[in-house]
Amino acid sequence: MSDQWYEMNEEAPRRVQFTLMDAVRLGHEYIRRRLDRSLINIASIALGLSFYTTMVISDLLYSTSARLGGGQVAVESYQYWLVAVALVVSIVGITNAMLIAVYERYREIGTMKCLGALDKHIVLLFLVESFYQGLLGGLIGFTLGLASAMVITGFAAGFDIVLYAPKLSLLSIFAGSVSLATALSMVATLYPAWRASKLNPVEALRYEL
Amino acid sequence: MSYENVIELRDLQRYYQMGAETVKALDGVDLEIKRGEYISIVGPSGSGKTTLFNLVGGLDKPTKGSVFIDGVDISQLDAYELAWLRCRKIGYIFQSFNLIQVLTALENVSLPTVFAGTPHDEGLKKAEKLLDQVGLGERLHHRPTELSAGQQQRVAIARALANDPSIILADEPTGNLDLNTGMEIIDLLHGLNKMRGLTLVAATHDLKMIKASDRIVWMRDGMVEKVERG
Repeated sequence: MSDQWYEMNEEAPRRVQFTLMDAVRLGHEYIRRRLDRSLINIASIALGLSFYTTMVISDLLYSTSARLGGGQVAVESYQYWLVAVALVVSIVGITNAMLIAVYERYREIGTMKCLGALDKHIVLLFLVESFYQGLLGGLIGFTLGLASAMVITGFAAGFDIVLYAPKLSLLSIFAGSVSLATALSMVATLYPAWRASKLNPVEALRYEL
Repeated sequence: MSYENVIELRDLQRYYQMGAETVKALDGVDLEIKRGEYISIVGPSGSGKTTLFNLVGGLDKPTKGSVFIDGVDISQLDAYELAWLRCRKIGYIFQSFNLIQVLTALENVSLPTVFAGTPHDEGLKKAEKLLDQVGLGERLHHRPTELSAGQQQRVAIARALANDPSIILADEPTGNLDLNTGMEIIDLLHGLNKMRGLTLVAATHDLKMIKASDRIVWMRDGMVEKVERG
């Protein structure tokens, strides 16, 4: 850049900005005001994850029961394959829903680029939204999974078995499930976010849905 | 130091490849626009108005030739500098407003200040003042769908002013408005041009808009046909 440019704008910073805080603020509004679209993603991750937590918690509760002298029941290993499939399906679902969200927001993305957004700012905005969705989906999914695990194991091991389960294991399953949900949601959004960020503003602004 | 010519176009060309054919959307445009001028760019559709608008706004790269904004050749800028130019130097106004639908009028207007790094509260205060100036002081928390077309364009104008740009680029700003609303928007833009000393470049078909301008650039087939005093 030439020197004149600097001389003219001595007081102003020459870099556009978009902090994580800005992205969180904006992402929050997007989710709140387009809740229907977000709910699809949240439901998708919650269902996939609840299946996962059902298995893991059932396993924990059965082994607790066995430790207390109850019968030996275990989660079959093939059931973990089913869990893996469920999680993959929910990733695909989210990627699909996010791609549609990108198409819906073509013009908005173009507009934001006109207002000074960089490619990475667009990626950040989409990732923040998916983080939110993953977190919510994870919390809901864990709750559902815990409830169904208690019902499933209840008949064999007693419905109060959860009270005897090691608290630390339950806590780590909770932390693990929510992190897994958040991570999966963000991974699923990487491709749509990248597509959105690479949009040419001229074409994006001309786009009619 | 300040440049007399805020925008300079030198032998500006933009070709598109359509299959085997090369379409010359712009075919050698030379133009100098002074600070504070109000320029209307007029021409039939396909004459290169929008291409010119995109090139001046740093949204597109020329095939040949250069665009100088305040003496800087913008094709030499990297992505960061270009984003900064769009953010701080240029305000865009579109035919279809292009407001962010999920955000309120106030949030739409303050959005450019976010990219400019203005503190959140300060940006909102500024947006409130601007909306008041365009006559929407009572409509701060309405969303675009709750506003009339004319009001939406006013929000877009306030948004274009958010970072105190020196240039306003308007692409058919009255194209989606009825006669009276269009008139009000023209008056508003004209007033901003005169009072703030903003350079206003508008691509338009609207005769009333053309009449208000200092100079009229007639385009045809990607070239400047003639330049008239308004």
